[in-house]
Amino acid sequence: MLKRREFVSALGGAVLLVMGAVTPALASSIETESSAFITSLAEKAVNSLTSKDAARGQRIERFRTMFNESFAVRSIGKFVLGRYWKKASEDERKEYLGLFEDLMVVSYVDRFAEYAGESLSIKKTRGENKSTVTVFSEIERPGGAKAIRINWRVGTNGTIYKILDVVVEGTSMSSTLRSDFSSIVRRNGGKVAGLIEELRTKTTALKSE
Amino acid sequence: MRERTTPTACLRALLVVSVLFGAVGCASVPDPNDPDAVIEFLQVNDPMEPTNRGVFEVNRALDNTVLKPVATVYKAVAPDFVRTRISNILANLRSPVIFANDILQGEFKRAATTFLRFFINSTIGVGGMNDMASALEIEGHDEDFGQTLAVWGVEEGPFIMLPLFGPSNPRDTVGLVVDFLIDPLRMWASNTERDFVPVSRAGTDAVDIRSENLEVLDDLEKSSLDFYAAIRSLYRQRRADAISNGEGSATVPAPSLGELPGGPTLEAAEELSRR
Repeated sequence: MLKRREFVSALGGAVLLVMGAVTPALASSIETESSAFITSLAEKAVNSLTSKDAARGQRIERFRTMFNESFAVRSIGKFVLGRYWKKASEDERKEYLGLFEDLMVVSYVDRFAEYAGESLSIKKTRGENKSTVTVFSEIERPGGAKAIRINWRVGTNGTIYKILDVVVEGTSMSSTLRSDFSSIVRRNGGKVAGLIEELRTKTTALKSE
Repeated sequence: MRERTTPTACLRALLVVSVLFGAVGCASVPDPNDPDAVIEFLQVNDPMEPTNRGVFEVNRALDNTVLKPVATVYKAVAPDFVRTRISNILANLRSPVIFANDILQGEFKRAATTFLRFFINSTIGVGGMNDMASALEIEGHDEDFGQTLAVWGVEEGPFIMLPLFGPSNPRDTVGLVVDFLIDPLRMWASNTERDFVPVSRAGTDAVDIRSENLEVLDDLEKSSLDFYAAIRSLYRQRRADAISNGEGSATVPAPSLGELPGGPTLEAAEELSRR
């Protein structure tokens, strides 16, 4: 029978062996998982958001749930506010994040209703670091029109996957929003409250559309 | 935030623009004691912002009254089949300029692709109408002299909103002019006094591009608070993407789960608990 010390070192050796075998494979496994995550999300979106019989309010709520499940809303919202995040109070941050979520949901929900049989195909994946993968995809359109390039930046802890950014034909959603929002804050004398006010007006208008 | 004197770069650029228009205005310079504000000012790199915004409003009015309605009707009325063929013809007509820029960038493989595509599509593709080259998996790409200058190391310079042509910068404006001058179709048309050729081609090009971007621009206008700032960002990103030939860059700042300042692990944990 093994002595305790021998057993511990044998165990350690086994763990090291397993880790050695797993680590190189890990990078490609998060790439595969990220790719599967995007594919299943696209399917889910087509199934639940493109239905023309569901009322707009219902589609908004479905999209809101999906948006919170699949997007790193807080990280994106924080990135978008840029250097002004530091300047915002806890209350302002909270209200801002809520309005940011509203803006995204009501701006994009109607796009799904215009769905006309486009399909998403994954072209390749690229691991950016141990927790971030870029999934390169194309939306193929019926009628032979040029496909639209969409890159998804996916963040993961190994079990949960969340979208960090969507890059359409080279344009990052997060970067564009960041320029937009910081311009509003600057025009309001560097006050986040000014942005919140404008976000409130905008989302109210979009909701009642 | 204190107002400072206008930077000379702005004055110089304004000299050019104020000759073309009446409007004059420079962006206010941030307090030099606020490093974050200074960095932001340099990143925005739009010293003529007030003037640019004026031009943008004029462009937008023209777009809303002329270009967008025409593009909308075109998209609604012309079948996909027809629109795709018109796009193909226009893309084929651009081939000589793309070829020249491929060569100038030292991209000989891409130049050969452009040449081959032009040959295939002009012949068996019937005047460029059918993209037979893509069917043979010889995929096309775009190039212009603005991108060539970028490859040669020329900086983009400050943002400029051109009348009619829209968002640009000094480098890309030079590019527009050079591409126009070196275009064989334009040369032929002007040598044979067929001025309607470049004019009708430019008009068709504008409608074709606008009809392709209806949703993207509508979405952006809908979701943005400051449409001008969003367009400025979109233009720069698209140019960077074109210059890198779609390869993108890992250095572009983007949101991340773990590397944000201010408690990265906490941030990630909070994010992931929101499942």
